[in-house]
Amino acid sequence: MPMRCDISENGATIRILPPDRFDFSCHLEFRDAFSKHDGKLKYIVDLRGTNYIDSSALGMLLLLRQHAGDGRRVSIINAKPDVLNILEVVNFGDLFILE
Amino acid sequence: MNPLSPKVLVVDDDLTNRMILSSIVEQLGCSVVLATDGVEAVRLFESEAPDLVLMDVIMPNMDGYEATRRIKNTEHGRFTPVIVVTGLQDPEEIQRGIAAGADDFLHKPFNPIVIQSKMRAMLRIRELNDTVRTQNQELQVFRQQRIQEEAVAEKIFDSIVHFGASDVPNVRSHIAPSTVFNGDLLLMAFRSTGELHVLVGDFTGHGLSAAIGAVPVSDMFCTMTSNGFSIGDIAAALNDRLKRMLPPNIFFAACLISVDAIEKRMTVWNGGLPDVLVARPDNTIRARTKSHHVPIGIHSSTDFKRETETIDLVEGDLIYACTDGLIDSPIAAGGRFGSVGYEACFDAELLPMRPFDCVLETIREISGDGPRDDTTLIEIQVTKALARAGADPNDAKALRIPSPWSMSFDFNRATLKNFDPIPFLLRGLVEVQGLARHKERLYTVLSELFNNALDHGVLGLDSRLKSSATGFSEYLAERARRLANGGEGYVRIWFKHVPSGEGGRLRIRVEDSGPGFDFRSSGNGSASEGALNGRGIPLLRSLCDSIEYRGRGNEVEAVLEWE
Repeated sequence: MPMRCDISENGATIRILPPDRFDFSCHLEFRDAFSKHDGKLKYIVDLRGTNYIDSSALGMLLLLRQHAGDGRRVSIINAKPDVLNILEVVNFGDLFILE
Repeated sequence: MNPLSPKVLVVDDDLTNRMILSSIVEQLGCSVVLATDGVEAVRLFESEAPDLVLMDVIMPNMDGYEATRRIKNTEHGRFTPVIVVTGLQDPEEIQRGIAAGADDFLHKPFNPIVIQSKMRAMLRIRELNDTVRTQNQELQVFRQQRIQEEAVAEKIFDSIVHFGASDVPNVRSHIAPSTVFNGDLLLMAFRSTGELHVLVGDFTGHGLSAAIGAVPVSDMFCTMTSNGFSIGDIAAALNDRLKRMLPPNIFFAACLISVDAIEKRMTVWNGGLPDVLVARPDNTIRARTKSHHVPIGIHSSTDFKRETETIDLVEGDLIYACTDGLIDSPIAAGGRFGSVGYEACFDAELLPMRPFDCVLETIREISGDGPRDDTTLIEIQVTKALARAGADPNDAKALRIPSPWSMSFDFNRATLKNFDPIPFLLRGLVEVQGLARHKERLYTVLSELFNNALDHGVLGLDSRLKSSATGFSEYLAERARRLANGGEGYVRIWFKHVPSGEGGRLRIRVEDSGPGFDFRSSGNGSASEGALNGRGIPLLRSLCDSIEYRGRGNEVEAVLEWE
């Protein structure tokens, strides 16, 4: 698994695929993925390839939410059970669209 | 040294060879230093500090192998390539040269292109080496700075993290040793009404960010607890502060627990920590509170939710809370401890071992090298000793010597528009007189009396408005509107305290400028029951030793007595 984020853009939507271990090591890439665009876009964080997520990754998601101006513009999709469990303990369903 | 023109030390006992090599080296734009044997080579290496050495092997006084060995021993961490110059096709000479520390070799007779290419390659490696070395030195400096900063952070954090955690009966806790600095926080304090407040939390990120956040958290938690605030209020206040203070990607996953060992009740606000578990004395799990909230420091104060969950307790129950570092503890064989491993320790078969010991022992076994730095676990047993500790945390009767006094306050309507006098009065009462033990009761009585006077007396609101389903919000809206409009009116509050034995008697009289109400008949007839209930009089009667209305119903006197 590459330690990097895959970014694809499709008009008004930016899709971010974090790596197997979503932690501090991809924080620059993750930030670059959204910070060069202004906030008026939709963001999809696709966690299909992620098996591990730590608190600094949660912090990165919060940065994305702040950048987007509104958590409803940020969807987190395809989280595996372990990762989903972490997102649920911190109740990120209140902050993002969790699918 | 001029970095653009490297200095080359040419070592050869043969004059012709020295001349040929010199001219080849100079063609590359390098400057040349010449040595005629190994002894001179070692001396010139020290004094001239060349960037590269071309070393003949067979020489008088000291041969090339020995000179190479000595030169390599005096490099002082900097890489200086040494190329040995051997006879044609002599593998043994090459082998000996490399074994002595040389980096490459050249054959005689000399081929200028080969020599220059090898020198270029070697100088490139030296440059690379220098870059790495410089970066390493910079890293060393950063590392030193970081260690120093962490030591400062650790000192700050340490003075806070174990605050009050040591001397509460029937409470056991495990928190990471301070040698490894982490973001976990464990705080405890008693509320004046006897409940034990516990905060277990985990800052994202270690080091300074956690230490900086821990300072106000600890301060506010302890102050607000002793001032009688509920854990929901404390969580909300912590959230406000940390939201303003921390960058958006740093937050505080935390759980606040209030344990009332007298009433046998536990209240929990959990934002982002693992389930708080309640176990029966036989180790089996009776109840749990999940994380219902987003961690502290993320939501704005308007979005923050302070709802708590309440669980009834039984004498002997064990309450457990932990940070997710504990659940996340890695297993040496692969995988993690997990909530499954954690909850497997809550097993009646393990008695007399408690889950607390089982959890720590299991982690010690499976991890190979003991609990990680970010594992915090607390066990609180609901016992009479805990109740007693809460009832009299200071055990300082001397601080509460009662004395007689009276005071009165007038608040006009304009003042009350943006000022709530209750906290102000309460603070004065408990500090002047040491009434801390009766603070909750005082607070309720005082705010009921005052709100009746303000709402019904000064503002003329009809309490019947509150009785319908949507009425309460209409009531509040109307109240806010009338307050904002201003106008005439006042509320007067008068206190008189008389000591008796070790206790005392406090009279509170509240008078307002309103028209009053018919308190004489409303006590008996069902027609006016609403007026009574709306004023919270049943509640007041239960908290006070007596309640008496006077005048036209715009004056009320409550009496509180205590031992």
